[in-house]
Amino acid sequence: MEPGEARGPVSQLRRGALEYCVLALLRQGERYAFDLVRALSEVDGLVTSEGTLYPLLSRLRRDEMVTTFWQESESGPPRRYYRLTDAGAAALRDFTRDWARFRDAVDTLLTQGEGDGHRAQ
Amino acid sequence: MDTVHNDRLVEDYLRRLEAAAIAAELSPDRRAELVAEIREHVREALSGDEPDEAAVRNVLERLGRPEDIAADAADAADAAERAPRVAAGGWNGLAIASFVSGLTWLWWVGSVLALVFGYRARHQIRASGGSEQGAGLATAGIVLGWVGVILAVVFLGGGALTVLSGPAPSGPPPLPTP
Repeated sequence: MEPGEARGPVSQLRRGALEYCVLALLRQGERYAFDLVRALSEVDGLVTSEGTLYPLLSRLRRDEMVTTFWQESESGPPRRYYRLTDAGAAALRDFTRDWARFRDAVDTLLTQGEGDGHRAQ
Repeated sequence: MDTVHNDRLVEDYLRRLEAAAIAAELSPDRRAELVAEIREHVREALSGDEPDEAAVRNVLERLGRPEDIAADAADAADAAERAPRVAAGGWNGLAIASFVSGLTWLWWVGSVLALVFGYRARHQIRASGGSEQGAGLATAGIVLGWVGVILAVVFLGGGALTVLSGPAPSGPPPLPTP
């Protein structure tokens, strides 16, 4: 595996969930790349390396979860805007449902053990 | 405000990214796209009043290690975005050459070439750990090569015998007239 930040379980989860976080942001409307990156990094604990969001966006484009278009900007070169596709919206709905179930299950088990910790050997 | 120094920090970072992308075997197009996206990100992040060095360093730090970005891009890349590697899953060129040479025959020239190319191709394909295609083609080329060589030997041998045994149907050579 490539060197870098620990590719531990949480970072794997992060990479899986991050795509759907992007789709969720786009549900509210079209945004351009830098705007998406900034919005995500404002959520504490979500993004460790902002640069890795660009390959993530590329994958979403390729999987046709999003489409993009370019638009002129007054403050510089044209910007690439992202828009949710129908497929992306459907995937987001599925994930939201699956994630909720998964998250609740993991939470239940993780909190169950608390307080009994000293007994287990 | 030392913008030259700031620019150099950014360019160094982008250069590291380019190198990491090459090492991660991204295609030239994907590489260029990634570097352009990151360059644009830095420009957006620093737009506004002249940024100081600390601001530049912060932006680059928040971007993360170029190696991690390239690694993620490689993970996300499909076949079109990977640099074409000669060995990976492609057809071994010599195997094709062997087969074609075997077919064209050209007396013994094509056949010998078929044998040379064929054995070499098989060796290469084996060395590639089976990731190259064309083992069957190379074998076919080798078979054609041997057939061609044997045929050439037979013809040459037959021709030599004919020449050596003299003109068979005609009678004895005419006697020299006095």
